[in-house]
Amino acid sequence: EVDVLVQRVVKDISNAFKRNPNIDEIGVIPCPEARYNRSPIVLVENKLGVESWCIKFLLPYVHNKLLLYRQRKHWLDREALVDITSTLLLLNPDFTTAWNVRKELLQCGVLVPEKDLYLGKLALTKFPKSPETWIHRRWVLQQVLQRFPAAACRSQQQHGEMESSELQRSPMLSDQLTRTLHEEMKVCCDAACRYPSNYNAWSHRIWVLQHMARGNIKFFHDELSSMRVWVSMHVSDHSGFHYRQFLLKELMTELSQAPSSSYASQNRPSTAPSSSPPHPSHTEANGELTGAEASGDEERQLNSATVLQLFHQELELCSDLIQSFPGHETLWSHRRHVFYLWHLW
Amino acid sequence: VKDVIIKPDGPNTLLLDKHADYIAAYGSKNDDYEYTLSEYLRMSGIYWGLTVMDLMGQLPRMNQQEIIDFITACQHECGGISASIGHDPHLLYTLSAIQILCLYDSTDAIDVDKVVEYIKGLQQEDGSFAGDKWGEIDTRFSFCAAAALALLGRMDAINVDKAVEFVLSCMNFDGGFGCRPGSESHAGQIYCCTGFLSLTGQLHQVNADLLGWWLCERQLLSGGLNGRPEKLPDVCYSWWVLASLKIIGKIHWIDKAKLRTFILACQDEETGGFADRPGDMVDPFHTLFGVAGLSLLGDKQIKPVNPVLCMPEDIMQRLNLKPELLS
Amino acid sequence: MKLYSLCVIYKGATKANLLKAAYDLSSFSFFQRSSVQEFMTFTSALIVERSTQGSRASVKEQEYLCHVYVRNDNLSAVVIADTEYPQRVCFSLLEKVLEEFSRQVDSINWPSGNPESINYKALDVHLAKYQNPREADAMTKVQAELDETKIILHNTMESLLERGEKLDDLVAKSEHLGNQSKAFYKTARKQN
Ligand SMILES: CC(C)=CCC/C(C)=C/CC/C(C)=C/CC/C(C)=C/COP(=O)(O)OP(=O)(O)O
Repeated sequence: EVDVLVQRVVKDISNAFKRNPNIDEIGVIPCPEARYNRSPIVLVENKLGVESWCIKFLLPYVHNKLLLYRQRKHWLDREALVDITSTLLLLNPDFTTAWNVRKELLQCGVLVPEKDLYLGKLALTKFPKSPETWIHRRWVLQQVLQRFPAAACRSQQQHGEMESSELQRSPMLSDQLTRTLHEEMKVCCDAACRYPSNYNAWSHRIWVLQHMARGNIKFFHDELSSMRVWVSMHVSDHSGFHYRQFLLKELMTELSQAPSSSYASQNRPSTAPSSSPPHPSHTEANGELTGAEASGDEERQLNSATVLQLFHQELELCSDLIQSFPGHETLWSHRRHVFYLWHLW
Repeated sequence: VKDVIIKPDGPNTLLLDKHADYIAAYGSKNDDYEYTLSEYLRMSGIYWGLTVMDLMGQLPRMNQQEIIDFITACQHECGGISASIGHDPHLLYTLSAIQILCLYDSTDAIDVDKVVEYIKGLQQEDGSFAGDKWGEIDTRFSFCAAAALALLGRMDAINVDKAVEFVLSCMNFDGGFGCRPGSESHAGQIYCCTGFLSLTGQLHQVNADLLGWWLCERQLLSGGLNGRPEKLPDVCYSWWVLASLKIIGKIHWIDKAKLRTFILACQDEETGGFADRPGDMVDPFHTLFGVAGLSLLGDKQIKPVNPVLCMPEDIMQRLNLKPELLS
Repeated sequence: MKLYSLCVIYKGATKANLLKAAYDLSSFSFFQRSSVQEFMTFTSALIVERSTQGSRASVKEQEYLCHVYVRNDNLSAVVIADTEYPQRVCFSLLEKVLEEFSRQVDSINWPSGNPESINYKALDVHLAKYQNPREADAMTKVQAELDETKIILHNTMESLLERGEKLDDLVAKSEHLGNQSKAFYKTARKQN
């Protein structure tokens, strides 16, 4: 009897996803008792809800089914595996082994990375801290990166020559990579809004930049300026400010290491880096080096002016926030950190 | 300021008997839904329960043989140990299993050589450790590897110098440590990193004054400790922060009486057990760290606990293990 | 920092009467919004009932702060914010809203009016604008005018209740809270 019920619910869930590919949030509807003749799965405005009464039947059932499969005591076909793991992970996203089953399905081509990134994103709408969901995301992103070896290696390359064949392929690849990158930022941001000082969300964001945007000065600049509003509205979010410190440090390092990087030589921002997007980064720069490269000294000076300006603006922001919102340990700790970075430089 | 208020009529004495009953009963209700939800971490759950029972002198109430058999059944072909039967092996649960076996002086229940091979195989070129074969890197796993090997007396199996190098690369300007290079300092990660450096005899590499300062700033007006600036206090941080302070020789920098008051207020007088904060739901995790925290604060009703491995000191003596502590 | 709700309430002799309300519940999970909204209204009315004429108070409830201002003429307003949102801006908002409301809505209608019958449209606009306190108001000005020491601080909802009275009972008895909201209340408590 429970069998029939649960199988129907699992089907209802997977049908909901087929019916509406734009589901963007999951949640539990408090409801102690079943309502006669009605599915506990509710779909409204792109939100998928599960009535609370059914979870205590549903979860143990799918849980045991998967574990029996894992012990080779029970056979499940691929489709069933996909359905069962996604139901399971939406209810209990720290169930590591269920993510591992999906990793294997991904490796043998039954699942595609996009699908798992999507499932993880939905799980995070209800469990924004879930460490295993973030861990699985990083693994999937590694797969994506490996799929695009050229693009991956470009984004890690600081500046330097490319094979011409790579150059021709790269616009499309880096396009897709850029899209993934932006999507990750969005997922991190949503999770950061759902749970304050969300360590896992912010350290994931750092990981993504370290692995997918290395040396991409423009991207770091854009992040710094888009984060400005966010931190101003979350003045006690220590992780958000730590992320700014990370961005500053990376920019500082890049700018002092790369005198002939395309950054300084191409339309240098006349005012704040936060107001005018600086120039296409090397990922889009076609590998061309401009004439300005010759005068390395001049570039170094420009770069160091940019760094100074970054520090200046950061301290201004910090003073401003301390004044408007007195008594926040986070703001003082940020101030200390900015001075430390300045001192390092 | 984000903090909690401690109610004057809340618990202010240690209710050891209640806690022992709570833990003893916990394992027996294994048909309920909450229990299924937490199965993915069962091995650690058992470690929390057994350790707190041992600290309270109540270990004999637990079913030793059943637990040892369970652990044997959780060791996989690759040598790694999983959280429960049918789950995949992971360093987190490998450490918990070894800790349990040490409490019971029964490491022969598993294939130790294979476990050592498993751990060794997870070390990366840069010295870091992956948590399992899928490759996630975290300083938590460096600690798990070092702690497991120390308990087995097999630290020589890994490249310790490289491992130390990686952990030190996660040190931040505030003296703390994060999960990876560039990540924010977090009290839990600091515990793992100072514990790791203790086990590898490298504590001189930490800036004890700077880190000690950051750690004791975690204490709030209520007496409780948080894990990062402007977060709520939580009993588990009484352990992560206090143990780290103990390891680096700065435990006297904290207001012990106030912390004790906070920890005691997190007990549930009816059900037994500790919650993260006063009035919340109790669980075995917070119960261990509440009791272990009180032990570090010097409570005589509880056995002394080792700050690095979070196990009773008498077990450390039997294993002849003395992780380094700064004074 | 976030403002979740803003209510104008008349403090009657025995009961509080809700006149107008605005909510921003976008940060709550979709399926909880209706329950959260009912709770915010319920809590706001309860706080007004239990506060004295001519008083300002802030009541802490979990990670929320409810700021209340009851004027001498019993017209009251409550704003529910997170703990990060600056208190003094909340009180400036309450003051401003009540002043505007009493100019636009005849006091005859206060004791018996309801959100449908009352014609006052600015609440949503205020709530939206004040989400960013730095854009909303000259914050320093407010600071000068408000004597913060006169604001009563309650660390729990319970401290507003009478001896022997329990929040759980009030919730259970309330006619304004639906069954789903009551179920939601039960699950939301004591969890971490
Ligand atoms: C032997 C013992 C006691 C432990 C084994 C070693 C391990 C795994 C220690 C874990 C230490 C720990 C708590 C690490 C922190 C993990 C982390 C980054 C959590 C993020 O948490 P937050 O997002 O801050 O969540 P809270 O707000 O709930 O604290």
